[in-house]
Amino acid sequence: MSTIPTPSVGDELPRLVIEAVDAEKMKTMAALLADSNPIHWDVDTVRELGMGDQPVNQGPNNLGYVMNMLGHWAGGAERIRHIRVRFLDNVFAGDRLEAGGKVTAVGDDGSVDCDVWLARDGDHPVLAGTATLLLG
Amino acid sequence: MTSATQSPTIEELESLVGRQFPGGTYDTEPWRVWLTNDVIGAPQRTDGIAHPMFCYYAAMAGLGISIDEMFTLCYASADDGPMFGECDIQQLRPLEIGATYTVRGEITSAVRKQGERTGTFDIVAFQLEVVAPDGEVSSVVSNSFIFPRRP
Repeated sequence: MSTIPTPSVGDELPRLVIEAVDAEKMKTMAALLADSNPIHWDVDTVRELGMGDQPVNQGPNNLGYVMNMLGHWAGGAERIRHIRVRFLDNVFAGDRLEAGGKVTAVGDDGSVDCDVWLARDGDHPVLAGTATLLLG
Repeated sequence: MTSATQSPTIEELESLVGRQFPGGTYDTEPWRVWLTNDVIGAPQRTDGIAHPMFCYYAAMAGLGISIDEMFTLCYASADDGPMFGECDIQQLRPLEIGATYTVRGEITSAVRKQGERTGTFDIVAFQLEVVAPDGEVSSVVSNSFIFPRRP
């Protein structure tokens, strides 16, 4: 994996961009999770529920993007010790996403606290939370 | 599509707290890890360490009931449009690829809320432990689902 960073409070984490969320991958994940919720593949159901006209990404996928962002920065996602997030809005097929974060505390033991987020179309928040990594 | 599920009473909702899941096991099989990494855009690692999202996947798949059965337990169905609320993952020790993990856990809270735009909805939270083959807890996962309740 890549080099371990030396962070300071206030550092912005390098952003991770997902150019377009892929509807086909939602189908793969639905099968992997045995998740029968039709909003992940059946556009008619999405419309009937008044949720738009594109399949809705699985919430855990959105968290996975944020973990990837942290892992790229920290030199490996295994350095994530704790992450807590709220799912603020849906992500749809075709959406452009950016995952980012900011260092809020650095401990003597190598622990680093961060605010983390995932945004749609530049600035619409779809996920926000906090994470603690152990870099030492 | 089926019709929306009948909303539970407050007493029925609150009686969910403390309900233990049957539990079970989850195998971090290499093919499953590869496909999952592909879906979420994670690197395909060769050092035997699974992506931390597997803390979540192991917990959910190993709790002993399906997501549909979880919804039913919470007086809902997939057709009601349940949503993910919060997710809290402690990765105490990274999960390893090719191992079998044991999962145990229970429902920890169940509350009713009223939103101006969203109407009535229930939030049901649960905590799951993912236990490594040597008996150590590798991960603690706390999740909540939001269930819209129609009048």
